This record gives sequence, structure tokens and C-alpha cells, in this order.
Amino acid sequence: MTEPGSCDNLLKAAFPVIVQGDAICGESSHFLVPKNLLPAITRYLHTQPSLRGRLTLIWTCDHRPVRDTYGLHYLFTLETSHHWVLLSSELAGNDRHFPSITPHVHAAKWYEREIRDMFGLIPEGHPDLRRLVRHEHWPKGTHPLRKDFPWNRVLGQQQGEYHFRRIEGEGVFEVPVGPIHAGIIESGHFRFSVAGEPIMQLELRHFWKHRGVEKLFEEQTLIGAVPLAERVSGDTTVGHSLAYCQAVETLLDLQVPRRARYLRALFLELERLYNHLGDIGAMCNDTAYALAHAHCGRMKERIMQLNDRLTGSRFLRNVIRVGGVTRNIENRQLTALVDELNRIQPDFSEVGAIIFANASLTDRLEATGVLDQQTAWDHAVMGVVGRASGIDCDLRRDRPFAAYDELPVNVALYRYGDVRARLRVRGDEIHESIRLIREIRAKIPDGPVANETSCSPKPGDWTLSAVEGWRGEILYMVMAGEDGRIHRCKVRDPSFVNWPAIQWAVPGNIIPDFPLINKSFNLSYAGNDL
Amino acid sequence: MLQAIILVIAQVTVLLTVSPFLVGLIRKVKARLQLRRGASVFQPYADLAKLFRKQPVLSTTTSWIFTVTPYIVFASTLTAGLLVPTFISQNPMNFAGNIIALVYLLALGTFFLILAGLDAGSAFGGMGSSREAIVASLTEPAMILSIFAIALTNGSTNLSTIVHKTALLDGVATDPSPQLMALASLFLVALAETGRVPIDNPATHLELTMIHEAMILEYSGRYLALLEWAASLKLAVFLSLIANVFAPWGIATTAAPAAMMIGVLVYLAKTAALATVIGMIECMFAKLRLFRVTDLLGVAFILGLLGLLFFYTLRS
Repeated sequence: MTEPGSCDNLLKAAFPVIVQGDAICGESSHFLVPKNLLPAITRYLHTQPSLRGRLTLIWTCDHRPVRDTYGLHYLFTLETSHHWVLLSSELAGNDRHFPSITPHVHAAKWYEREIRDMFGLIPEGHPDLRRLVRHEHWPKGTHPLRKDFPWNRVLGQQQGEYHFRRIEGEGVFEVPVGPIHAGIIESGHFRFSVAGEPIMQLELRHFWKHRGVEKLFEEQTLIGAVPLAERVSGDTTVGHSLAYCQAVETLLDLQVPRRARYLRALFLELERLYNHLGDIGAMCNDTAYALAHAHCGRMKERIMQLNDRLTGSRFLRNVIRVGGVTRNIENRQLTALVDELNRIQPDFSEVGAIIFANASLTDRLEATGVLDQQTAWDHAVMGVVGRASGIDCDLRRDRPFAAYDELPVNVALYRYGDVRARLRVRGDEIHESIRLIREIRAKIPDGPVANETSCSPKPGDWTLSAVEGWRGEILYMVMAGEDGRIHRCKVRDPSFVNWPAIQWAVPGNIIPDFPLINKSFNLSYAGNDL
Repeated sequence: MLQAIILVIAQVTVLLTVSPFLVGLIRKVKARLQLRRGASVFQPYADLAKLFRKQPVLSTTTSWIFTVTPYIVFASTLTAGLLVPTFISQNPMNFAGNIIALVYLLALGTFFLILAGLDAGSAFGGMGSSREAIVASLTEPAMILSIFAIALTNGSTNLSTIVHKTALLDGVATDPSPQLMALASLFLVALAETGRVPIDNPATHLELTMIHEAMILEYSGRYLALLEWAASLKLAVFLSLIANVFAPWGIATTAAPAAMMIGVLVYLAKTAALATVIGMIECMFAKLRLFRVTDLLGVAFILGLLGLLFFYTLRS
């Protein structure tokens, strides 16, 4: 166990140049680091056995017009204490280069490519500098998150070609899939190199529908941007709006009433329930086991109707607001909710028993799409996928938010990392969510459900907030601007981290098993492609 | 002569009209077992009517093979259907071919489908074709062996003779072991050949997992309608084969109108029962991993072989 203090001392002893910073984001240490030290210090954080820092977020901020600098920030979560270590560095004036940490911290590779695309800052020494978000038809020099780029600028077109990694040899051929699919699936491109049916390599090419979400945040006020956060990924409405509101509340120094914190936990668990039920059904459907799909679909529908009755929205839109929740849920409604869940739970247990007793289904799920623990760690994978590969992390337990400091969570953990483990994590979490909702009903205090504030934050103040959504860790960095507006908002859906990992779960499997593996990850295309 | 022509027309009519119903029935059974209401059993007729009205879209990379394939597949499957007794045991077309001709008429359709899958030049068509080639090459020996077991026990390769003799209980061996083995083998072959779970999933939208659907992915309009109809015809052919070879009782053994009426009704009941069984199987099993399909078809081959062995051991 590494105590937060000892971690600070270790870092300072190893790198005397670094200076303590003053960021406000809960339990964390903040250091200002000269940019040339970044690779060494991140490597130390990542590999030192007593620290084992998992890269959690990298973001950049254009500080203009206040000062002519770019801020670079690296957030690590320490494996043992779940303490945050934040490293900040700045690029001044016309300096457009920063040292890449990807050679040492593999999980940084998409973040650094994203920064290059969105800000035009060049990560020197990055092994793969192909464009990530900016597809080749974006004109040269388009970097939308720079402050001198107007949000409504109409882009021209240019020609360009993306070079996929190629495997050559006798009998090896490429199978391109997407971005247009036969089913109702979001747009993503998958390039397989196969020798017959077995897959030798998979390369993803996403980011087909860039919406400019982070840029749009900069046109909003702190209070008014909740609907935008709700729409980052449609199936994670509560997760995203909660993470956003928590960040704003920290900036406004606004306390959320206890009842509202319980209701927020309730909504988050309802969202987890309906999505996990849908996922388990969809995974069974991908093996053509339509029976379980039909029953899980039925139960998912019951939860969504519950959502509708409680909040007026099947997808729990417009329930979280800055300062609390938008509407109270009466205690008798909560009792009715628990009664309904008490009826659904044995129903689900029965379907679960049928699923795990079916030999033909088990044969499809077991040993399919294995993501081993080391690979998962190297890619900083978390959430459902991480917990199925032995990465023991759950923000509800590790960094409690909403009412989770009073609601202890039992974290589902499996080590095998195959499709079946991911199915089991979801199954266990459904039972755990129902248990939590019962506990919420028992413990919820009476009182107001929202607080107001008239204070506005100092321009340039920023904070981080993290929520364990149903897919995994959702992170928001919000920096206040002038007149209660947003200067910069960094959104990180768990999908952005877990997508690259799927490329390592697939090789060695056969092509017809890929849809099943992909479904067991069930990552968001929209949350990834902001 | 006139009677023969009328019977052929009746046989074609029965096959063409019953086959979409069987597909609709399987879907309905699946839906009911999943607590869904499901579409009407007559939905496949509406789908066919809709597709025949739609204009087909052809890829510019396709050759004549692509456009000719639907007609070949439809015609060969229908011809194969004429060799199988449906409601009358003495099939008017029995002179035209025996049970081996049936196997290779169906194989002709499969062969052209495989070509058409490759012809459109899409990644999925090629995958479907290569998978179908594996499945087809494994079902063929299993089917031939089980058919030989039946043919030997009945002393003929002509389906009408086999069915007629069995229906009249004429010269039937007392021990049905060869037939039971052949039945099990042929049932597995039927599931594989008609693209049902656990070999293929006809309801999937996932291109990467498809076999039959991947080959016809580029088809639209009337070409697709013909292929869909041919697929349901193939299902009807296999169900008729299983129903009438192993349990022909109730089939019309003479050309009397009353006997034929009963024959049609019994035929409908038998094929509907088999379709229900398939629908239930589709609810009970997940699809096999592609490379396990070979194991299942290996089992079908061994069952056919056992049928043959039983015939020789029982005879001596």
C-alpha cells in the first residue's frame, strides 16, 4: 500500500526539479514538470513497482487569450491506493513540440495522436503519427480545439490516403468491414488481415462522425451545458451528465443535498441495469441463441418503462442538473421501484441459469476473445472489460462520488478475460445494482433535491471529475472561462481507452467470432468520436 | 399421360405454395417460444411479392454468372423437388432421376451460388462462398451414405419405389436400425444444407458470421426473391424427403381423388411438424463455432456409415 504522502516523497526524491501544484480535484497530488522530463517521470510513475500508475487521462488546453501557452496534463491513478497523480507542463509561445511518452506508456498512443490532430502540437518520438480524428480529407492545418478556430467554420476538402498496417504473404488477404454495416450499428471501420478464417491482425479506423463536442462546450455556459453532456453518448446519459455536473459543482463550490446524491446513485444504477441487460441479450443473440435475447430484451424494456415512470424519460434524459437532480422521487415511488426490481431479479436469475447451463452457448463464449491481464494493464483498460481481465478498479469503491461513500459496492472481478468473463461481470453487476437500489431505498434521507448558487468561478479555474458509468470510468475536465462560460471541457468516455485494446483480443480468433467479441466489449462509437 | 401431366402440375403447385409457409412457420414457432407474437406465418409470401415488384440493383463488377444464378438455383431446386414424392407415392417424374440425381441437382444450385458469391467481388460474398464450399463438401458424403443405407434396405435407388414400398409395408426389414441411423444423419444434413441453426443463422444481420446469407448479400429485387424462394423450396424438399422416406404412411398410394386429398393433408401435417421441430431446435442451441461444423457433419457421416454397416450385419 502506497500512502499518498509517500508517493509524493518518492517522486520528489527521484525528480528534485518538480514543483508541487495547486489543482483542486479531490484526493490527488499535482506536480508542475518541465516538458523534457515528462518521458522519464511518466515512465517512473508507470513502472515503479510501489507506484504502478495507470494512465487515466491526457489533455491539453489552449490558454489563449489569457496567456500564450498550451497546457499539457497527464493524470495517473496509482494501482494500490487509487490516488491520483497529476503532472502538468506547458508549451510557451511558438513551441509546438513536446516529447511523446508513448514509447514508455503504451496507453498514451491515442491521446497523443488526438492532441496532435486537435491542437497541432507534435508528440516527438511517437511511433505512429498517422492522423486519428482528422481524417485525410480534412484540410492541412485544421486544428479545431485551438482558440483561433471558430466553431462554425466550414471545412474544405482535400485528397489523402490512410495507410493501414499490412501483412503480406501467401494466402493472406484483407477484409475491410464498415463503416457502413448490414445491421443498425454505428460507423466504424475494421480492417482484418486473415489467413483463411483465423485473424492475424485487426486494425480499427474510427472517428467517422466528428461532432465537435468539445468545441461546442466552449460555446456554452457552465450551467447550460448539461444537455450537451447528456448527448455525448446516448446510452450513458446519466454517467456523462453526472460527471459534468460534479465538475461544475466543484468549480462553483456548490454542495449537493444528501437526498440528491442518493437519487443520482439510483439513476446511475438504473442506467447500468438496462444497459447490462441489453448487452447480455445482445451477446447471446450474436451466437444465434435468440431465446436469451428475447428474455433479456423483455427485462430491459421493463427497466426502461420504470425509468419512464420515474423520470419521464426512458433514457433518463434531463434528470441530473447542476446542484442536484431535476425532480424528486417520492418514497412510495421508490418502494414501488424496489418491488418491481424484486420481481425482475428472480426472472433474471433464471435466464442467467439457462445461459450458463447451455453447453452450446458456453462453447461459443469460453476462450473467445481473450484479453489477458498484462495486455489490459498496458492499454490502461478499465470498466467492465477491465474487471473481466483482472483489473480491479471501480470508481464507486475507489473514489466514491454521489452517495457511494455511504453505499459500499462489491466489485465483480474475473481473470480470464474472455467473452464469458465479460458476460459474467455484467451478470454480477446486475445483481449488485439491484442490491444497491434496495440499499438506497433503505438509507435515503428526506430533504431538498437541489441547491442553488449565485457565485461564479474565477476564469481559468479548472477541476476534474470521475464517474463509474456502466461502461467504465467517465472523466471530465472543466475549465471556467469569462462570465460563467466554459473555457475548455475535456470529455473522456471509457470507450476511447478500451477501443484500441480490442485489437489485441482478436488475433488468433476466427472471423465469425469477431462480432461476438466486439459485442462483449460493447464500446460506444459516439462517446469515442466526440 | 394426361394424368401424369396433371400430377406434375399439382406437385409443382404444392411445393411452390407450401415452401414459404414452412419458413413462416419456423419463424412463428421461434417467436412464440421467445414469448413474442411474431409475424404471420404468411409473411414470407408478402416478402416474395414485395421483392418481385422491386427493381434489382446490379454491381458493375458482376458478370453473367451473377444474373443467371438465381434462375439456375431456382430451377434445379424445383426439379429436385419433382423427384421427391410429396402427397402421392408413385411420382409421375420418377423415370427422370433417382435419389442420386436429387443430391446432385441440389449440388448444382449450391455450386452456382458459390460462384455468384465470388462474382460480386465483395469481401463477404467470398467468405460466404468459401464457408459454403466447406459445408457442402462435408454434407455430400454424409448424405450419399445415408441414402445408400435406405436404398439398400429397400432394394432401389428410386425414391418413388422406396416410398411406395415402405408405405405399403412391402418387404420392409423388421429391424429399423439402418433407417434410424440414416434418419439422424439426413436430419443433420438437412439442417446444414438449408442453413439453419446450429450451422448457420438465417436471422442474422452480422455479415462476418453469415454463410448462405453472405453469398446472396449483393442480390436484390426479383433475383433475391428467386433465391429466397429457392431456399425455402430446398427446405421443403428436405422435409418432404425425411417425412416420406421414413414415415410415408398416409401418402396416396393410388391416384384416387379421395386418397390424394388425404395425402395432401397428411403431407402438410408432417412437414409442419418437422418445421416445428426445427423451430424448437433453433431456440435451444446457439450456433456452432464455424470450425465445429466439421465435427457435427463428421457425426452425420458416421451415422450414415453406421446405417450401411447395420444393413449388412442385419442381413447376414
